[in-house]
Amino acid sequence: MIELRNISKTYPNGTEAVHNVTLHIRPGEFVSLVGRSGTGKTTLVKMIVAEERPTQGRIILGGWDITRIKVAHIPLLRRQIGVVFQDFKLLEKRTVFENVAFALEVAGYNKKRINEVVPQILRLVGIEEKKDVFPDELSGGQQQRVSIARALAHRPKILIADEPTGNLDSVNTREIIDLLQKINKFKTTVMLVTHNREVVNSLKKRVIGLEDGRIVYDQLRGRYIL
Amino acid sequence: MFMTSCAAVIYSNMFLLSSKRILKFSWQHFWRNVWLSIVTITIIILTLFSLTTLILVNAIAEAAVNSIRTTVDVSLYFDNKISGEAVELLRNELTEKIPEIKEIIYISPQEALDEFKQKHQADADIQASLAELESNPLGATLILKAYNVDDYPQIMEKVTSMQAETLAEKIDYDDHRLLISRINDFADKIRTFSLVLSLIFIAIALLTVFNTVRMGIYIHRKEIGIMRLVGASNWFIRLPFVIEGLFYALFGCLIFWGLIFLVLNFIAPWINNFFTGINFNIQAYLIANVVNIFGFELIVISMINVISAVIAMGRHLKV
Repeated sequence: MIELRNISKTYPNGTEAVHNVTLHIRPGEFVSLVGRSGTGKTTLVKMIVAEERPTQGRIILGGWDITRIKVAHIPLLRRQIGVVFQDFKLLEKRTVFENVAFALEVAGYNKKRINEVVPQILRLVGIEEKKDVFPDELSGGQQQRVSIARALAHRPKILIADEPTGNLDSVNTREIIDLLQKINKFKTTVMLVTHNREVVNSLKKRVIGLEDGRIVYDQLRGRYIL
Repeated sequence: MFMTSCAAVIYSNMFLLSSKRILKFSWQHFWRNVWLSIVTITIIILTLFSLTTLILVNAIAEAAVNSIRTTVDVSLYFDNKISGEAVELLRNELTEKIPEIKEIIYISPQEALDEFKQKHQADADIQASLAELESNPLGATLILKAYNVDDYPQIMEKVTSMQAETLAEKIDYDDHRLLISRINDFADKIRTFSLVLSLIFIAIALLTVFNTVRMGIYIHRKEIGIMRLVGASNWFIRLPFVIEGLFYALFGCLIFWGLIFLVLNFIAPWINNFFTGINFNIQAYLIANVVNIFGFELIVISMINVISAVIAMGRHLKV
């Protein structure tokens, strides 16, 4: 599903964020990408969603080589990859329903389809009863659920969660991780980017460790060992 | 496989629906930033005012010069002893030999007398004197009109060198070229002033719209970020800013022309007093040409706004 071949990324100021990374994530896998801050985790995510281009190497997603993807094709790629962040990135002036619907509106879905799809996703993430509420009336965990719902709006084959529990307490963190596992059970490939040791250790799934832009370990039922 | 599965969905996906949503987003940009929108429209109205002044100065100058041109002619007055046949012969000769002449109007002694009577009908003394006369004291007149007002000196030269001078009792020619040249000079000065003013306002409008769009991008930066995240196409993100610029142009033009006609209703008689004698009615002119001028101005302002929006997006909106 996600294939990185000898990927390196050097920024114009000379900083090498990622060095010769090669990895292959199979469809339906749940992978944790771990490492301290500044080890290149977010750069890797940015290259996968074509926000950054690798200086070297190739990125192949579902057989599609996106290494030199055309600007016009980037939106197509991003509709195939759901991304959630630590800061939720929700629109305060839109309700929960409207925030999720927004992803479909910008892609040209009609109202009928939006009214079918959004309640299904809200039900999946367990926030259906809050559909008419504004984000600032929700807890952090609930806001992250909305963010995940929006990321799932296009029914992506890949879900990347970049520090999704960074702003959450332990109860909410557990709920969000459970939700990600639930989504993974529906055959969605999940890439969890985190430096939360407890979360990674509790998952007992594949763990890829990054340090100084290099992969230092890749274990199938791994633990956070950095 | 990955791409093709969704490409069809995306590109076939309801162009009209997207257009409607783009319009909705443009409208939201316009209203969420309403004070900046008002300032932008005000600058556009000032730009339109100077552009319209430029257009009106041209029209008024043209009307003034035309009305003077129509009054210019060379008149040949003949003694009443000169026969009609002789005048007619001279008329033919003038037509043949002076190609610059557009037409020659022949006024017979009787017509001249009738005109004279008509002109002085209120003057009892003149009317009484005319009644005393047994015969018509007035002779025929030939009025020569040229194709071009600049040809009159040449026509005069040729007329005086021909038999005309011996036949005609009096040759009358008022040289209006100096007046026309003064009007043109004056109009040129106003035109230059309006043009400079228009260019200044166009530059201000460019900067204002640029700044408004820049502010819009800043205000909507979070929304734009989310649009990118969820796969909105580049044109879906950018077009609302271009259309917002077109809204400014449209509202600016509509408000400006609404104001023009509203104000003209009150001041048109006063303004038209200035133009008595040159046959120019500002209200009638604007009504007759509103579609052309409005269209021209809308295109110019729209182009300015689109250029500004594109430059602002190029500098501040990385998609």
